[in-house]
Amino acid sequence: MILERFNDAAKRGVYSLQEFFVLAGKALGFIFVKPFYTADLFQQMDAIGVGSIGIVLLTGFFTGMVLALQSAVQLQTFGASDYIGRLIAGSMIRELGPVLAGLMVAGRVGSGIAAQLGSMRVTEQIDALNTLGTDPIKKLVTPRVLASLIMLPVLTVINDFVGILGGSIIAMFYLGKPASLYWRTVFEQILSGGFTLHYIPNDFIQGLAKPFVFGGIISLVACYHGLNTKGGTEGVGNATTRTVVTASILILVVDYFLTQIILVLFP
Amino acid sequence: MTDEEDRRHKGDERRHPSEKDESAMPRRARDSGRVRAAIRNELEEVAEDSAGKEAKHGARPAQEQVITLENISLAFEEPILENVSFDAKAGETVVVVGESGTGKSTILKLLLRLLIPEKGRVLIDGEDITGLTFDDALKVRQKMGMVFQGAALFDSMTVYENVAYPLREHTLLLEDEIEARVREKLQFVDLEPDKVNDQMPSELSGGMKKRVGIARGLANNPEIMLYDEPTSGLDPLTTATITYLIIKLQRELGVTSIVVSHDIRSAFRMASKIALLANHHIGFFGTPEEMTGSDDSYIREFLGGF
Repeated sequence: MILERFNDAAKRGVYSLQEFFVLAGKALGFIFVKPFYTADLFQQMDAIGVGSIGIVLLTGFFTGMVLALQSAVQLQTFGASDYIGRLIAGSMIRELGPVLAGLMVAGRVGSGIAAQLGSMRVTEQIDALNTLGTDPIKKLVTPRVLASLIMLPVLTVINDFVGILGGSIIAMFYLGKPASLYWRTVFEQILSGGFTLHYIPNDFIQGLAKPFVFGGIISLVACYHGLNTKGGTEGVGNATTRTVVTASILILVVDYFLTQIILVLFP
Repeated sequence: MTDEEDRRHKGDERRHPSEKDESAMPRRARDSGRVRAAIRNELEEVAEDSAGKEAKHGARPAQEQVITLENISLAFEEPILENVSFDAKAGETVVVVGESGTGKSTILKLLLRLLIPEKGRVLIDGEDITGLTFDDALKVRQKMGMVFQGAALFDSMTVYENVAYPLREHTLLLEDEIEARVREKLQFVDLEPDKVNDQMPSELSGGMKKRVGIARGLANNPEIMLYDEPTSGLDPLTTATITYLIIKLQRELGVTSIVVSHDIRSAFRMASKIALLANHHIGFFGTPEEMTGSDDSYIREFLGGF
């Protein structure tokens, strides 16, 4: 009995995984296939990117400040508070910027996409698209995935910048360091990590590859749960919850493995 | 004096039976008798019309089979359909009736190739669609217009954009040609384009949504129309209007239709043939007259007092 249940659950899990990768493959493949839904793409870029700037600015700024505040106490103990810029820049660009932007967008945009597609599923609008000769993946999923792939790195750059800016405020007003010293150490950190192709700092590679992957994870997970919504309005709620939980966990897990891979490839 | 009152004064009831039902709610009681009489006249005229002349099917011979279901069987966790067969000839309206949960809507999904049967074949214009690829299935679907139970209008688009959607998607028509087509289709379903074009689906009543759904289904001038419970959840007057529209479509445009319904009264008004789905099988397939004349106990029970 227990074995049977386990067997069924495992089968369902494998089937869901297969469905997810089929959806991902189609959605990404359709980026290069006509017709291009350009208007939908720009609409999604606006909703996902421009719409998320507010929360990204807030979270980035306060995270930078609190990071500086916490580090200041530690660094002062060792008399290394001059290097606060390096610490903030390294943490924000490599780790906190991408992960925080990812989690914020997963909460705000992922839930929105899942709810929207879920409602379209339960009100038969997805079937209507199919009936009208439109592939719902091409019309609904591809623009959302592409918009996320483009906009998440942009949001991350904004997040990084305001985070470092937040850190500079603490450095100046709490530690009393001159702004020039803070920003010089920020650039030292960026330049110290080595370069790829002579010009691209490795910190940037890490800082931009991660949000690109996170963007794909968030949009695909949201679209998958949205399109597979069952059971009316309750189903829409479940799809939304599952999206935020799955996407957030995946972001944190994938972040670790991505960091490992990038550190090997771009030491 | 409002437009509504003005029209009522002029006795112009036949043109807009449903508008009264939707926009003149406080006067419904007083007017309902007259409106019902008007709709009855309308339906009788259509019936007389159909007795006197063949429907227009364009160049299609009336006996040509447009839709054929051959020995269809389908099961998910339990059987849905078993050995189901029926067909619809050009210009016919076949109404599939049956109790709730007997797989009536599944038949529409099979026709649209949203589902593939385990056994049997679905033929559209003689072409077996069961083995088609996803892309080819999208092309076959363009021959069909579908009206969903809840209308399924895209709620992020206006009425105009909804009706224009299939044209923008599959034709190279210019915007003014699209506008003319949208106008024509909205007028066909007795809606005023200037009034509803910019409205969002959430601003429309149930009957108006259904009519916009029919207009969208018609936009591409399909050969086949599929309706999923077109009259469910509507009041009797709006039900009569939608029934009238389906009959009008068959008579004026010669469209072949499959209607899934549990509303036996409307079914008898619009059907060329009725297919009764019972216990996963087709229990009866024939004309409404043959159905009422049947001695079968289940059919008699299903028809009840009708």
